[in-house]
Amino acid sequence: MRSHIAFRTEPVELEADYVVVGSGAGGATAAVTLARAGASVALVEAGAWRDPAHYPASAYGAMRDLLEDWGSQVTRGRALWPIVQARTMGGTTVVNSAIAVRTPGDIFRQWERERGVGGDAMADAIGRHQDAIERELSVEEVPRGSLGRSNLLALAGDAAADYQGHVMKRYVASCAGTGQCLQGCRKGRKQSTNVTYVPELLRLGGDVLSCAPVHRVAFESRRARGVVGRFVHPETRAKGGRFEVRARRAVVVAASVTHSPALLERSGLKSPALGSLFRAHPGTGVFGCYDEPVDMNVGVTQGWATTKFRESPGLKLETLAIPPELVASRIAGGGTALMERLARYRHVAMWCHAVRAESCGTVHNGLGDRPVVRYQLDDADMRRFRDGMRLVAELHFAAGARSVIPGIHGMPFELGPDQVHLLREAPLDPRRYVAILSHLFGGCPMGKDPRESVCDGDGRVHGVEGLVVADASVIPTNLGVNPQHTIMALARHFATRLVQ
Amino acid sequence: MLALVRSACVALYPRTDALPGIEDTDLDAFLVRFRRESSFLLWLGVVAGAFVFAITPLITTGIPLPAFLLSKRLRDRHANRIASHPIYLLRQAVMLVKLAAGLCWGGHPKVRAAFALPPYPDEPSRWRTSFDEPSPSSGDATRDASPAKTPPVGDTA
Ligand SMILES: Cc1cc2nc3c(=O)[nH]c(=O)nc-3n(C[C@H](O)[C@H](O)[C@H](O)COP(=O)(O)OP(=O)(O)OC[C@H]3O[C@@H](n4cnc5c(N)ncnc54)[C@H](O)[C@@H]3O)c2cc1C
Ligand code: SF4
Repeated sequence: MRSHIAFRTEPVELEADYVVVGSGAGGATAAVTLARAGASVALVEAGAWRDPAHYPASAYGAMRDLLEDWGSQVTRGRALWPIVQARTMGGTTVVNSAIAVRTPGDIFRQWERERGVGGDAMADAIGRHQDAIERELSVEEVPRGSLGRSNLLALAGDAAADYQGHVMKRYVASCAGTGQCLQGCRKGRKQSTNVTYVPELLRLGGDVLSCAPVHRVAFESRRARGVVGRFVHPETRAKGGRFEVRARRAVVVAASVTHSPALLERSGLKSPALGSLFRAHPGTGVFGCYDEPVDMNVGVTQGWATTKFRESPGLKLETLAIPPELVASRIAGGGTALMERLARYRHVAMWCHAVRAESCGTVHNGLGDRPVVRYQLDDADMRRFRDGMRLVAELHFAAGARSVIPGIHGMPFELGPDQVHLLREAPLDPRRYVAILSHLFGGCPMGKDPRESVCDGDGRVHGVEGLVVADASVIPTNLGVNPQHTIMALARHFATRLVQ
Repeated sequence: MLALVRSACVALYPRTDALPGIEDTDLDAFLVRFRRESSFLLWLGVVAGAFVFAITPLITTGIPLPAFLLSKRLRDRHANRIASHPIYLLRQAVMLVKLAAGLCWGGHPKVRAAFALPPYPDEPSRWRTSFDEPSPSSGDATRDASPAKTPPVGDTA
């Protein structure tokens, strides 16, 4: 009988045509695509399976139940910037804002030019897959009534400053604007893969293992034969029984940008490109302070964006709402000075940028199966970072903000409209900024040349049989837009090619 | 250890006229829960941050006493200065305490009420076991992606 197997203390052995590691944007999409084609599929996920009724409501609960290591993983470099990813059935699609942006056409040309993959054929296929995914996952514009004041202010600022922005399209059916996307959508409106593709996989007869971190991929000569690991209890973190899932046809690795390369490295895969070309969209928020209450947590978490600056200077700007408990540590200072600042919470709107950073880092396997990411921005990227903060600040002023709080160490806490120019000269030292990395790329980059890439343009790992990578780690360049749509379409494309 | 972390939290988020302080929340219960539920490394980081907070008044106020022995006024000054100290690693160490304490403070019903937000519901850690019904027990989901909506696989999809 096909089933869901959660934490077990006794050993589990299974066999399927395909074993998929990871149930996030890439893994769940690949798994359901294979199952729809009639193959037997076993999906193995490190995290627990939580349904919307199980989701936490607070940031504390989200860090405990949904994020990997409480969101405490940081880059090793000059600055310790957090790398945020989920560890739960559905992967990061559970905690993200579900913003759906199609892959820009220039990306396929760039991949063709620089990596010998991509080009028009891939662009056409990805476009068709994105059409289908949009239908399946109810991609729609945020309803006007769910936008909330922060997003409406951004729209007003955009109209005044000509940022050519738009109301976001998201994988959400009738968003109710509860502002809880980052804690998981308790209303069940967000179409994360744990409520869409994974249940569909079960209905199609697939096996789903949760609480089951894969320790390594097993090889026989040059062929991937399956995966092995031990269950981990989601609350106590105690180790459970051993599991072994054999793959008759192929293993599909989709454990994320940090975990896929680490898993392949500890499995003994030899590739000079493994762990290379780690890239990200580092981002930060700038608070705008308004005379009237904004109540940014009322309304959708993210509702407005612009891609006007994607090519130059290389940025995406968006609105974002975070709850008081996260604003508390994001605002500088401590003691009564901090409390006086926090007293204005209802009057601030947080808008942010994501930098299309060209700097590259590496990912390697560390102690206890934890990936180690070495990454830091060069000066050119830091200039983009700083420019983005200025553009966000100017948008706030165009929307009527009285002042902005950029949060750059060593600069005035608050800037008025006549002080925005100070941001042009802000320091380039990354340690002075509070940033996070949420859009990640690379680690198992695709390309034609096995010396520079881990897998080919169909996600097949060079030099071994029956091993495919199907997540964000294959993306060899920075996209400059939110990546989930590209990841899902690539995974669907790779899975389709695999069963053909 | 708990007392050390507690005193740093109280200094970082004191009560003011406008807002409840962290001492007005369930801080003690929170810290016990956080120690139990968080990972060992994270808890260690928070304890290390609280230790840094305790031993650094000399560099922020010039007074060679641990933070918890300072007067209220000086401790408040220390809290502000150490949380924005020019030395990155000091700032980051205290940041961990500030983050953990912020989760307690900002998530508490009294603080949420001060910001016109409803209290959070109880949130025990729950997940789907092997024996649970294999259907999403979603809130008031208007649609769950059913196979009926999903076209078959293929490059021509
Ligand atoms: C806060 C936040 C907001 C975001 N918002 C958006 C947005 O609105 N739109 C957008 O396009 N993108 C967004 N992103 C980015 C997007 O969610 C990710 O790029 C995407 O989910 C990555 O897909 P993935 O399949 O590579 O990895 P993931 O979705 O992270 O899935 C990887 C899965 O593998 C599992 N795993 C890891 N190791 C193992 C192992 N050893 N064994 C078994 N399983 C394992 C993990 O638990 C996880 O479930 C956001 C990201 C964050 C953090
Ligand atoms: S804003 Fe609320 S209803 Fe809308 S997707 Fe996010 S969590 Fe769900």
